[in-house]
Amino acid sequence: MSRLPVLKPEGNVPESQHLPPEESLPVLLTRSDEALGFFERKLSGALGWARANSLFQYPFVTACCGMEYMSVMAGRYDLARFGAEYPRFTPRQADLLMIVGTINVKQTPVLKRVYEQMTEPKWVMAFGVCASSGGFYDNYATTQGADRVIPVDVYVPGCPPRPEQVLDGLKILQEKIRSQRHQLHTVEKSREIEDADEEKKKRFLGKWLNR
Amino acid sequence: MAQSLIDLLRETHPDAIVSTPGHRGDEVVVVRREQLVDVCRFLKEDPRTDLKLLAQIAGVDLLTYATEATGGGALASIEVPAYDLERKRPVEPRYQVAYNLGSVVKKHRLRLRLELRSDDMKIPTVTGIWRTADWWERYIYDMFGVEFVGHPNLTRIMMYPEFQGFPLRKDYPVRKRQPLVPELDFPDLVRGPGPGPGGAGVPMSQTHVGRANVDPDAYD
Ligand code: SF4
Repeated sequence: MSRLPVLKPEGNVPESQHLPPEESLPVLLTRSDEALGFFERKLSGALGWARANSLFQYPFVTACCGMEYMSVMAGRYDLARFGAEYPRFTPRQADLLMIVGTINVKQTPVLKRVYEQMTEPKWVMAFGVCASSGGFYDNYATTQGADRVIPVDVYVPGCPPRPEQVLDGLKILQEKIRSQRHQLHTVEKSREIEDADEEKKKRFLGKWLNR
Repeated sequence: MAQSLIDLLRETHPDAIVSTPGHRGDEVVVVRREQLVDVCRFLKEDPRTDLKLLAQIAGVDLLTYATEATGGGALASIEVPAYDLERKRPVEPRYQVAYNLGSVVKKHRLRLRLELRSDDMKIPTVTGIWRTADWWERYIYDMFGVEFVGHPNLTRIMMYPEFQGFPLRKDYPVRKRQPLVPELDFPDLVRGPGPGPGGAGVPMSQTHVGRANVDPDAYD
């Protein structure tokens, strides 16, 4: 039997989330799979749309980039146009952690704690070169990039970045959120159940092909 | 203006003064370490000097910086970086600590300077004279490793307690990195995480002077 094409997830999914071809899902779709896929796509679209357009941010402002953050939030550049309207000053209500400024070693555990206090789903934006890589603070006191301790979704370079760059970064992040896939099964199937399912599928297929 | 201060000091503390290397009207007095506290108390309390403002205490590390005082031309040192110990001879006394004093009323200022050899880095504290010396001395200790004898709470003020070495010394490697550290326990006044004073780690309250012996239950 020749290999059937791998199902491609919809949208602009980042490379890292592509399914490897060997382990990719169904060889042939059953009707229930098809239906599930349909609902998954619908659900993913709806959730992605909702999440991408209501990003509540937690601004972790530590340094001079804060000035640019203010300008991005204020009327002229107006981050609210992209749905990132409310800065929430408690991490528990925030979706997007914006690391705005230099993170030094003494502060790093605090950043980690703030990240861990945020509820899922959560995203992180490194705002400025200091948060992205330590910037020119290549010295004893500065953490060389916030990604040494927490995962970062989008890096906005610049010292400080212009507001347009931040808006661009936000749109890239929104694109990423929109194209995320959401599974209807939140609980992963165990290996045995999956194998049994495979068996069932094969038997079913065999019947069809032998007919 | 500060010249009159120096003359006064020469009269009252003749054996405390090593030299007076002033520069363009900014008068500097290099004092002996043993007389530092006496000199400081005199400068603060005497109505003729009235130096009530300790604006800053600064540390200097002249690792290989050859000056007139330490032998060698000042300009010879520019091209070779200071930490290039193979091509440059380290100088002694290597460290300096400068006290920048001022008088708001009399409108004059004076700089006291101590010179320290790297094998004996102890200075008597002046926290008993100016309270602001407290944090400045901790800062000099944190960055240069100068020990202030008699300081009530000589701990690091900017770097974290796990930090090794003294970062503003010229022979601290420029690109040296130290491992990230876990979060410090501190008593959150409302309902904080961590065990607080007496528990694991150094409580935040004890890194502030004057709180070292405060009963944590007495906070409000
Ligand atoms: S990136 Fe530049 S502007 Fe932003 S915090 Fe660092 S030094 Fe300041």
